[in-house]
Amino acid sequence: MSLVPLLLVLVSQAAQVGGQVLLKKGMTPAQSKRRKRVVALQLGAGVGLLTVWFLLWMNLHEKMELSYLFPFQGISPVLLVIAAAFLLKERTHWRTWAGIALISLGTVLVALSEKQGV
Amino acid sequence: MAFMHGIRGHGRSRHPKASRKPGHPPTQWYLNPNLHVAINCILMTVAEICLQLGAKDASQVDVPKWLAWTGLRDFVSGWTIAGVVVYICAFANWLYVLRWLPLSVAYPITSATQVLIAISAWIFLHEHLSFLRCIAILLICCGIVLSSKPAANAEEKL
Repeated sequence: MSLVPLLLVLVSQAAQVGGQVLLKKGMTPAQSKRRKRVVALQLGAGVGLLTVWFLLWMNLHEKMELSYLFPFQGISPVLLVIAAAFLLKERTHWRTWAGIALISLGTVLVALSEKQGV
Repeated sequence: MAFMHGIRGHGRSRHPKASRKPGHPPTQWYLNPNLHVAINCILMTVAEICLQLGAKDASQVDVPKWLAWTGLRDFVSGWTIAGVVVYICAFANWLYVLRWLPLSVAYPITSATQVLIAISAWIFLHEHLSFLRCIAILLICCGIVLSSKPAANAEEKL
């Protein structure tokens, strides 16, 4: 994979993770008028980042084979749980990490089955 | 839009069964956040299939290079527009899920979409489901079951 598509894949995944974290922050209860403005900003920025992810991902779907693109989808749960642990201070259970490892492995296997036709 | 009332109301609903402690999910079965995670997976599967059909349609249309680069070319297909509409419904549903479940629990469960897409393609499009893909689906299912275990106690204290 050349550098530009790899960069686009990484930017798209980062945009997805950033968008989801901002949406989660925005969905906390609003308590005052000022807080509501912050919520609106967080939700707006989240939607913006997810739009960037969506357009980049559609573009990558056209340019690259699904079997090459799909494994990168497998890293998004890992990145997201790391972001949730550090940015949202969510407590992550060991089962979550074990589950994510299996999901990511399964996603890579889906891509391999597509590539090898087995 | 009953769930929107739940979001705005924060436990102030007049429904007798809706009374709950602030920060706890509504008690009605149709407002259960885990049910809405499942609905989200189904909506995402439908949207992905529509977008895939739309991308195939749109790849045969000539447009300026800059427009093709943005991915906006796909909007010439009705399938893409249908996919985006379903995505918007999934997004509204996802906001409700995020209100009640931690991101680190809810997001991994949505990987069920990959399993649903593979099974849908096998049932409706008669695509071949290989042995390796069956193993992959099994792994993803195990991962989802493991990840979703903490969801049982995931009523956040907000």
